[in-house]
Amino acid sequence: MAKPPLTLKSPPGSRNKRLFIAGMLLVLLLIPFLRFVIDGFNYWLHMFLYIFMYIAMASSWNIIGGYTGYTSLGHNFFSATGAYFSGVLLVYFKISPFLTAPFAGLLALVLGLVFGLISLRTRGPAFIISTIALVLLVKISFDNWDYIGGANGLSLPLLDLDVSLVKIPYYYYMLFTAIAAVYTAYRIRHSKFGLGLRAISQDESKAEVAGIPTNTYKILAFAISGLYVGIAGAIWGYYSTYLQPKTLMAILVAAQLVLMTVLGGKGTVAGPVVGAIVFIAAEEYFVSALGSSELNIAAMGLLLAVVLLFFPEGIVGSLKSRGRLPHILDWD
Amino acid sequence: MTQAVQLLIIGISLGGVYALMASGLTLIFGVMRIVNIAHAALMITAAYASYWAFRLYHIDPIVSILISMPTMFVLGMLIYKLFFQRIIDSPRIGELTVLLTFALALILEGILGYFYTNIYRSTNPSYATRAILFDPFYLPQGQFYATLMSLVLIALLWAFLQYTKTGYSIRATMQNRTAAQVVGVNVNRVSMIAFSIGTALAGASGSMMTFLFTFYPGKHWEWVAILLSLIVLGGMGSLLGALVGSIMLAIASAYVSFRLGPTWSPITFFLALFLILLFRPQGLFGHKAEF
Amino acid sequence: MALLELENVTAGYGHGPDILQDLSLTIEAGRSYCIIGPNGAGKSTLMRVICGLLHPRQGKVTYKGEVLNDMRTDEVLRRGISFVPQDRSLFPDMTVMENLRMGGFILSSRKDLHNRVEQVLQTFTILRERSSQRAKTLSGGEQQMLAIGRALVLNPEVIMLDEPSLGLAPKIARQIFEIVRQLKDLGMTVILVEQNARMGLESSDWGCVLDLGTNSFEGPADTVLNDPRIQELYLGKRRESRRESWK
Repeated sequence: MAKPPLTLKSPPGSRNKRLFIAGMLLVLLLIPFLRFVIDGFNYWLHMFLYIFMYIAMASSWNIIGGYTGYTSLGHNFFSATGAYFSGVLLVYFKISPFLTAPFAGLLALVLGLVFGLISLRTRGPAFIISTIALVLLVKISFDNWDYIGGANGLSLPLLDLDVSLVKIPYYYYMLFTAIAAVYTAYRIRHSKFGLGLRAISQDESKAEVAGIPTNTYKILAFAISGLYVGIAGAIWGYYSTYLQPKTLMAILVAAQLVLMTVLGGKGTVAGPVVGAIVFIAAEEYFVSALGSSELNIAAMGLLLAVVLLFFPEGIVGSLKSRGRLPHILDWD
Repeated sequence: MTQAVQLLIIGISLGGVYALMASGLTLIFGVMRIVNIAHAALMITAAYASYWAFRLYHIDPIVSILISMPTMFVLGMLIYKLFFQRIIDSPRIGELTVLLTFALALILEGILGYFYTNIYRSTNPSYATRAILFDPFYLPQGQFYATLMSLVLIALLWAFLQYTKTGYSIRATMQNRTAAQVVGVNVNRVSMIAFSIGTALAGASGSMMTFLFTFYPGKHWEWVAILLSLIVLGGMGSLLGALVGSIMLAIASAYVSFRLGPTWSPITFFLALFLILLFRPQGLFGHKAEF
Repeated sequence: MALLELENVTAGYGHGPDILQDLSLTIEAGRSYCIIGPNGAGKSTLMRVICGLLHPRQGKVTYKGEVLNDMRTDEVLRRGISFVPQDRSLFPDMTVMENLRMGGFILSSRKDLHNRVEQVLQTFTILRERSSQRAKTLSGGEQQMLAIGRALVLNPEVIMLDEPSLGLAPKIARQIFEIVRQLKDLGMTVILVEQNARMGLESSDWGCVLDLGTNSFEGPADTVLNDPRIQELYLGKRRESRRESWK
């Protein structure tokens, strides 16, 4: 069994890694300028934005689901409340979601604390069930809440920009959210707090005996994992211009978060990033090759089952345990 | 007063069906320690089978239980072999299988959605819309038959567990897996039987669901959450708990539905779930098990 | 020829590390053995390997010349090896009678089962008094008796007991060890794992010390008991382990 790293310093060779990451970020920052060169660039912006959103959400999910070992199937609760919070402020008070998104994240954090206080009293299956119930509970409430549009949903105005430029602000906002989320996950992974979380996932009773305040840690982890999901939800809601409980709180969204993280490698920093990219690329390919149909749902289920049964460590985890992980992707 | 009694009648007459749905789930949890998220998706699968049997061959949904139960039993065996056999001894089985059955639910939902689309379906045998009147009360006939059938099936399950050798081995595995192994019970086989029986029970309730509720492939998420709240209330793994929890919550939801309107009735289950988790996580009849 | 033989057995759980490493052990018929060793030495794992709950990764387990390696527990039981696991593993919601009848689960004849259970009830009269009580309502000592009685229903040639004195008051523990001695007098081969090394060795013929998954030392029980290394390593901790068992 691999021992947890005792030092919190970067391992040797991290200069290459830093260069790689800095280079990647630079490229991502410059991508929108390509639109002056290439036609039909909005599609690519859209895809990137979509991937950034899922990187942000999956990395956040990983904090509770991967590091701590508490699987949440209700994380779209956070994105939906974030989206509605900023959406309602936009529709009724004309405040831009770009300003309110961070507060949507804070709201998600607080709601995470409250919900965590209740449902983290349970472990294992009971916790998972409570997260599913949470989403359904909130969905029914939103369906019946006329002020926010009820089951019919709420339409939001898009940014008043030329159609060729309009995606760019969202692109940057989502990019920075993703960077912040991954950086947070990275910092937690390399902190005493993160070590405590991993101890909880290994053996909660022993962690408790070792003096780790397991309850506080779990609740904090759950709340923090809500933060960026709330922000990403607010931006996505604004971007998609239409909020509806049925789509925002579909279990499928939560399923995708779990699937991406498991696919990439649960509990690793790079896992959710790799998982989100691979998953969305595969999904996009299937949709273009086979057409969009309900079979996509079945394919997603099949993929999840295969990964769980045969590669439970995910891409990053499997490569790492075989010593084949490219050094630049080893962020643990 | 009349109104309250009427709600009680409606509640109890649905409670039996809920209990049948929950009994399979709680049996599977009791024996295998897994939460079968795909349970309701399996119900819906059987519901489609009964729906088409009714539409194409005019087979009564209650009669089609005779087909759906054995078919679903075999499907349960297949699923067990494909999904669970290789991981049943894994120490992380609880967490792993929740995700696995989640995946199974997605697979079933996708396949059903592909073939039968997301149109709302239901069957309409003659009794579905009739009611038994005994002034001043009434009892919807379909609910009455369904609950009667459910109670019969639950009684059969109980007798099977209580008096047969296989029943003994299932109960032994539920009570203490190691002890069961030590006396020579093949717990792997017992797990497969329990999973298949649970799936068959999901099949029976799916058949009856066709004339009690409308359904479509994605509907199973709501159902599975309802079922989970039923067995969490009763205490996971306890059959008696599933029965009592189902009837209690069915009555409560009939009341909520009457007060606030039918769209709010599912919220009864989810709120109950949170309250139970908050005040009595082991449920009404559960042990303080590892959980 | 030895009755039961382990040759260079290596075993562990799932993808985990090896708990038993290259362990060799010979069990002669009609003897009673006490296996002692620190926590995590693999004592329980050894028993799980013999009775088919865990299959060895390497090496060979033979019983009367037959290889047990890949047998299921019920197959091992049929050959005459019974196991009483730690914590008395009973069926808590079944009655004492039902627990005993479960002990004969692999028997196909009802009459055989009835006779065997009767025999056990004659040995443990207290169980007859309690026969319609649920197992979880019994006291710790009675539960241990029931667990041993349940294993005796099959009238085994070899009986393995994993820490039968765990969690029992000293007086009750002594009664259990008395039963263990009787089992040997009845002609059974007894394998006992004990934290309470002194009491365990005192009621056995042969002692084995298991450390870090291998058999590091063995000999006649009184030799082991009086060996200075053992005295220092295990028996010095006697009070401590006792105190633990008080909890």
